Order: sequence, then structure tokens, then C-alpha cells
Amino acid sequence: MRKINLWAWLWIFLGGLYFFGPLYGALDFSLREKRGVLSFLAYQNVLKDPSFRNSFTYSTLIGLATIIVGLLLIVSTAYWVHLRLPQARPIVDFITLLPFVVPAIVLVDGFIQIYSGPPFALTNTPQGANVLLMFGYIVTAMPYMYRSVDAGLRAIDVRTLTEAGQSLGAGWITILFRVILPNIRTALLSGAFLTFAIVIGEYTFASLLARPAFGPYMVLLGQDRAYEPAALSIMSFALTWAAMMIIQFLGRGAPGQGQVAVAH
Amino acid sequence: MLTYMAEATQADSQGKPLIRSFLPTNLLVWLGVLPFFLFAILFILMPSSSLVVGSFQDTQGHFTFKNIVDLFTPSILNSYLLSIQISLVTAVVGALFGFMLAYAAVLGGLPRWVRTAVMTLCGVAANFAGVPLAFAFVATLGRTGIFTASLRDAFHFDIYQHGFNLYSFGGLALTYLYFQFPLMVLIIAPSLDGLRNEWREACENLGASTWQYWRYIALPILLPSLLGTMILLFGNAFGAYATAYALTGGFLDLITIEVGNQISGNVLYNPNLGLALALGMIVVMSVSIGLYSWLQRRTARWLR
Amino acid sequence: MTHLSLSNISKKFVETFAVKDFNLSVEKGEFVSFLGPSGCGKTTTLRMIAGFETPTIGQVILDNVDITDKAPNQRNIGMVFQSYALFPNMTVAQNIGFGLRIHREAETAIKQRVEEMLKLIHLEQRGNNYPHQLSGGQQQRVALARALANHPQVLLLDEPLSALDAKIRVSLRAEIRSIQRKLGITAIYVTHDQEEALSISDRIVVMSQGQMEQVGTPFEIYNFPQTAFVASFVGTLNTTDAEVIDPAKKLIRIDGVQLETAEELDGRQKGDKVTVAIRPERLSFAVEQKKANVIDCRIENITFLGSVVRIQVSIGDAKFNMDTFNNPFLELPKIGDKTQVTCSREAVLILKN
Repeated sequence: MRKINLWAWLWIFLGGLYFFGPLYGALDFSLREKRGVLSFLAYQNVLKDPSFRNSFTYSTLIGLATIIVGLLLIVSTAYWVHLRLPQARPIVDFITLLPFVVPAIVLVDGFIQIYSGPPFALTNTPQGANVLLMFGYIVTAMPYMYRSVDAGLRAIDVRTLTEAGQSLGAGWITILFRVILPNIRTALLSGAFLTFAIVIGEYTFASLLARPAFGPYMVLLGQDRAYEPAALSIMSFALTWAAMMIIQFLGRGAPGQGQVAVAH
Repeated sequence: MLTYMAEATQADSQGKPLIRSFLPTNLLVWLGVLPFFLFAILFILMPSSSLVVGSFQDTQGHFTFKNIVDLFTPSILNSYLLSIQISLVTAVVGALFGFMLAYAAVLGGLPRWVRTAVMTLCGVAANFAGVPLAFAFVATLGRTGIFTASLRDAFHFDIYQHGFNLYSFGGLALTYLYFQFPLMVLIIAPSLDGLRNEWREACENLGASTWQYWRYIALPILLPSLLGTMILLFGNAFGAYATAYALTGGFLDLITIEVGNQISGNVLYNPNLGLALALGMIVVMSVSIGLYSWLQRRTARWLR
Repeated sequence: MTHLSLSNISKKFVETFAVKDFNLSVEKGEFVSFLGPSGCGKTTTLRMIAGFETPTIGQVILDNVDITDKAPNQRNIGMVFQSYALFPNMTVAQNIGFGLRIHREAETAIKQRVEEMLKLIHLEQRGNNYPHQLSGGQQQRVALARALANHPQVLLLDEPLSALDAKIRVSLRAEIRSIQRKLGITAIYVTHDQEEALSISDRIVVMSQGQMEQVGTPFEIYNFPQTAFVASFVGTLNTTDAEVIDPAKKLIRIDGVQLETAEELDGRQKGDKVTVAIRPERLSFAVEQKKANVIDCRIENITFLGSVVRIQVSIGDAKFNMDTFNNPFLELPKIGDKTQVTCSREAVLILKN
């Protein structure tokens, strides 16, 4: 088997090269704003920029809203399907595939078609557009959130737990909040962090719905500045890395926690 | 009606908790998934169908096929072609190299931590798409990028003089691969796990070499999964917008960029034609997902 | 004539020995079972014969050729796996013919051999089915045919029946044995089921914790176990502590009850502690026939097992199981009754610990 080992290491090495190359490039570039010296000037400029703070805050808030509304919707649906309506499963599974069929660019086109004019006129007000953005994000994150929650529910044998709770005298709400949710906490948090990672970097929806999110801010900066975008890239990467690490950490020992995500 | 209700009550007696109610149980139960269906209708189905419907209308709202016909003009066809090309290239290359990496990590006999590290890094890389990725590549391989500059200074080799251009088809493909490889690795790794050790041993026991094992057993078993994932990769690249926009500023005439232009009102096209563009995309994606689902079902049978 | 020999085989994994000092000579056409609990090293030893593990010390010699370092695909030894390991993307016929195809046999020869094998395992109609369309028992037969199609010199079977239902296990093991006999092929069979090993083997190797405990025919292993482990692992056994009273007259005492044994007690002295074992079927009611040892006891429990009735009696403080054949016309004693049981001298075994 030694022959395979060498060859395997080669591929790992090549993969590592390709993975770390652009990151190293971005890091190096981002430290060179001050001529001739390695400095964090680019990072400082970014952090001082009020637009940075505003857009990052905005995206974070939208992200939180997406997580809360999204999880509420998905957990209740997944629980219901598991427990009382297995017949709905094929339809629900099909719906979770739809976001792949309708990529972000197409979906936002559709949003604008329907929701910009009467009777909805959502895009005319900032609040309306925010709501639209949130739902756009929920659609994007939905397949992964659903899969995560579904896997979590499957792993804990929802039916038996619910029946055990009922046999001990607990009502629906009690069972949901004190038996089910605590046991799928890992799945919930994984879904939440993945959603957060998706929302923070998202560009398509935010830009075409003209919202002041982090994605459009980055592109704007990219058009004016040279070093700051690289710094943003590194910061964004660090954030994504942190989110993934947390998900990994949460998912230790839990079955089926392989998370995948979208291209933008 | 009676049989349906009989079935519904039978289902309940199989241990499902009962809600005491006077309404027929089956109707009440479907209420539980109503919010989700409503959400799907409002934010996926209605927007998509408005696109579909709009493509078949003219500016006055009358039914027409003109928009569909207009899709077949050279410039639009070129956009589709370009998108398909880049998706095909990055899907095939991504699948090939991603498979190699996955094989090395899962079956290469390497220490356990290597696999975990590879999976984690792939998870990060697959998520790192879009604007930050484009920036990272610009910083590395752009005209003034670190890698470009160091090659120029150290070896007097200017890659841009030799035909490389990050802001081209090739450059974008290279950038796309950054999330295509990891996606392949993440999706194919479980299938590689499904290749049972005993098959390999049984194969050896019957006199076969490693290559024969791959040729007769492993690759045939993996093929549906490989093809399916390749198709997924195709769809993934086809629908990508942010990365392309951030890197090329809309310079490369991909179909996603075209649709984006339509929406931002950058071009004086017939707006319904713009919708037809989107419809075309939906068709391509639907076919991809359909093929992928079919291949997945074939895989599941063997790799359980 | 020795066909397969394992000499001084030991296998070390990191710090521990999975197998130690394994020595065995197998005749051509012999059916030998490796019997023992999980982790005793039987599968590891089998895998060393197959070539999937290399011995740390020792040699594997097949037909006078040292194959210890030969690659598994060079040994011409057939193996049947516990999980069948049939190739899911190939039909039954393709699975069976795989080895021959690898060896580049002519298509006609392959076809003929496959048909021969299908006939042997009574699955002539199933050649074009896929493994997932067959039951567990059928899949295992295909696995057997696949291993045999290649004309192997030795057949190895790694717990082939443990994934199957009890009834299938019984019929399939008989089938395996009859095929083996018909072909005259040397076979090594690994199992943890002692009934299986007893019923089909020419010889059994009982293993525990990497070591060979005893080698012998089923008859020898069952009736003359040499160690406490073998005695308790193979068949059911009553064991208890006893004290030597008179080494010359071969008397021992269990809790105040005196028994005479046929075993040699030379080398022991009065007062020595020994372990005594008596097979349940060697005890019987004294009322039927009195043998050398007659013991007063009390009925503690009666369990009806079908063809056998297991009666638990207390001899002093020790509890002994007595197995008698079910006889619907015989009235059984009741729990709490006092009665007498008897056994011969030969039935009282003294175990080496």
C-alpha cells in the first residue's frame, strides 16, 4: 500500500497548493498597502470605513432574521412531516430541490417581476425590499437548512420520543420545545451558521434589490481601491472559516453532518 | 371518500399521536405544512412562473412566441454557449481533480486527520465563492497580483505576455474551479466510503490486480455517482453570477451576466426577451437536476 | 499428506499479539474449523492464509510452497466472506465467472464452468439475476460458487453463515459440507458457533485470546476437553470447585458430597483444590439406573427446551444442570422435590485451568 500513499500525498499536496495559493496571494497583497513595508493599513482602512460597519451590520441583521424565520418555518415543517404527514415528504423534498433549478439571478428577476409593481410594491420601500431580501435568502439557504434539520430529526427517532413524552403526560408544545428542539440543537446551530456564511457573502440578491448589504459594499470597494478588497477577502475568509469550524465542532459525533454550500 | 377516511384513521392507529378534533383528520393534518407550501408558492413558484409567463408575452401583454424565437439570435446564443462552455469545462475538470483528491483523502491510506482536514477545507472553499473569491484571485493572479509579480521579478516571466489573462474565459474557469473541486470532493466522498473493503479483497482473492478492480468493480459502481455529481457541478457553474461579475465586471458575456444586465436596465432590450433569457436558464437547470436525481437513485441501490 | 501447514504463526498489532504460536497441519480434503469467541484471533489467522495479513513470525506453506509473502491475488486460495462481498454491478453468472475472466480463460470454458457451479449450488435459473435480487442464503451460495469456480487449492470461509437466519444456517452448512466433500477440497472454516463447528468439521481448533486451546475431532473436543475454556465454550457444562480427598482412590468432594472420578489424580495431594466439570447429559435420575456416583439433591428448576428437558439440581451449594430427553409419558418431579441423581466415574472431569 505504500505506493498508493505516495501518490495520495501528492494529490493532497497539489490540492493544498491550489487551496492556499489564492489565500496567500490575497493575504500578501493585503499587507502591502504601505509601500515597501508589510502593514495592516488596508485592514485599518476597511475597519475605519463607516460603510463597512453599516453594510456588515445590515447583513448580520438580515442574516439573523433569515435564520430565525427560516428555522421556524423549516423546523415546524420538518417535524410535522416526520411525525404526522410522511405523505408530504416527496413534495417537500421536491421543493427543497427547486432553489437549484432557479439560481439566484433568475429568482431575483422573478421577485422583481412580481413584487415591484402593484399589488405588492415591495421594492418601493426599504422595509419591503428588506423583507424580499430575507425571503430570497431563505430560499437560497432552505435546502441546506432543511437537510440539516431533517438529518437531525431522523437521528433522534422523533416518533418514539414524542410518544414517550405523550405517555408521560406532556402536550405538543412541551414536547416540541423541551424534548425535540434540545435534541436537534446541533442541527439547528449548523444550519444557522451555514445560513450566516451564505448571507454575509451574498451579492446577487443584495445588489439587484439595491440593498446596502456587505456583498455590494465589497464590489463597490473593489472598483475604487486595490488593497482593501484583498483585505476584505481575507476577512471574509476568516469569517467563513470560523463559521465552518463552529459547525464542525458542533457536529462532532453527530451522524451525517457533511455540509455543502452554493456557488454565488 | 369513505375509503380515504378509513385509510386516514388506519394510519392514525399505527401509533401516530392523535389530535382530538371534529374535522376529518386528513385535512387538518395538511394544514401543518401550509406555511411551507405558501412560502414555496410565494417565493419560488410564483416568481418562476411569472418569468415563464412573461417570456411568452409581448410588451402589451399579448401571447407571443417572438421572445423565444429571438433567443436564437447569434449574440444570445453566444451567451448561452459561453455559459455552457465554462460550466462544462469546470464540471469535467472539477470532477476529475476533485475525484483524485477525494480518493487520496478517503482511500489513500493516509492518517485519519488528513481526511478531516481535507473535508473541512473543502467545506470552507465551497462556501468561499462569490466576491471574496474573485478578489483573492485578482490579488494573486491579476496583472499586479502577487504571483504574477513574483514570477516577473524572479524569473522574468510575465504570464500576461504569454497569453494568460485572469479576466478571460480561462481565468474565470480557474476561479470557478476553486469551488468546483471542493464541491466534488464533499459530494463524492461518501460514495467512496460506500465502496466496501470486502469487494476489493474478494477481487484480489480471485486473482485480480488493483487496476482490474477499478476497471471491473469500483468505477462501474461509482459511475452514476460521478456522472451525477459532474452534472451538479455543471448546474452550479451555470447559475453562478457574483463570482463572474466581481471578477470580470460584466465583461464576459455569460448568460447570468446578461440576465443581470436586463434587470439593472443596463441594456435597451425588450424586457420580455430578458425574461425569456431567464426561462432558458430554468430549462437548462431543470434538465440538469432531473438527470442528477435519476443518477442518484441508481447509485443508491449499489452503495447502500 | 500435509496439504497446508501453518508453522509458528504469530501476528502482532502494535503492542499486542492477535495470534501467538499457531501450529497446524491440514491434510488434503480435510475440513478444519477455527472455533472461538470474538477477538480470539481466528479471523486474523484465516486472513493470514488468504494473504490479507502478513504474519509477524512464522510461515504458511501450501503444497510444499512457502506462500507467506505471496500477494493475495497470487495464491489461488478461494475465500468466502461473512458479508458475501458479491459485486453488486454484476449478475450472478458474471460474479461466478469473474476469477476465470481475470485469468483469461476462454469464453466457452468460462460459460461451462459457471453453469457447472450454478448446478452445484442449485441456482441454475438465477444466473442473470443481480445480487440484490437474491436472499441472503442464495447470495452466500453464489459467493461459495464464485470462490470455487477458480479451482482453488484451499477454500477459506470466514463466518459465512452468521448473517443468516437460524434455519438457513443449518441447511446451508450441510450443503457447504457436502459440496466440500464432493469436490475433495481442503477447507478452513471460521466460526463462533460451536454447534456449527461440531456438526461439520473433521477437526476443530479451539482458540482463545490468540492462542490455540485444543486441536481435535469434534468427538475429542466435546468429550475430552483439555482446558476449562474448551470445556465451557463447547457445549454446556457444569463446573464447580472441589477438593481432593484421596488421590489414589480418585475421590473428590464438592461441598460435602463425595464423588469418584476416572481421571488421574497423581501429583495431587489431599486438600488440593481442583475444578470439576460434568456434562449435563451425563447426569440422570438414580431411580432409572444407579451408576458409580449417587448424589442426593434438590430440584431447583425445570426448563422445557423442546427435545430436551433441563433440570437444575442443587448439590450442596452448587447448582448443576441435568439434561434428559423429553418423554411425554414420564412424570417429571416438581420444584422443591428431593431426589437422587447419578453419573459414572468417567463423567466427572477434572479440568486443567
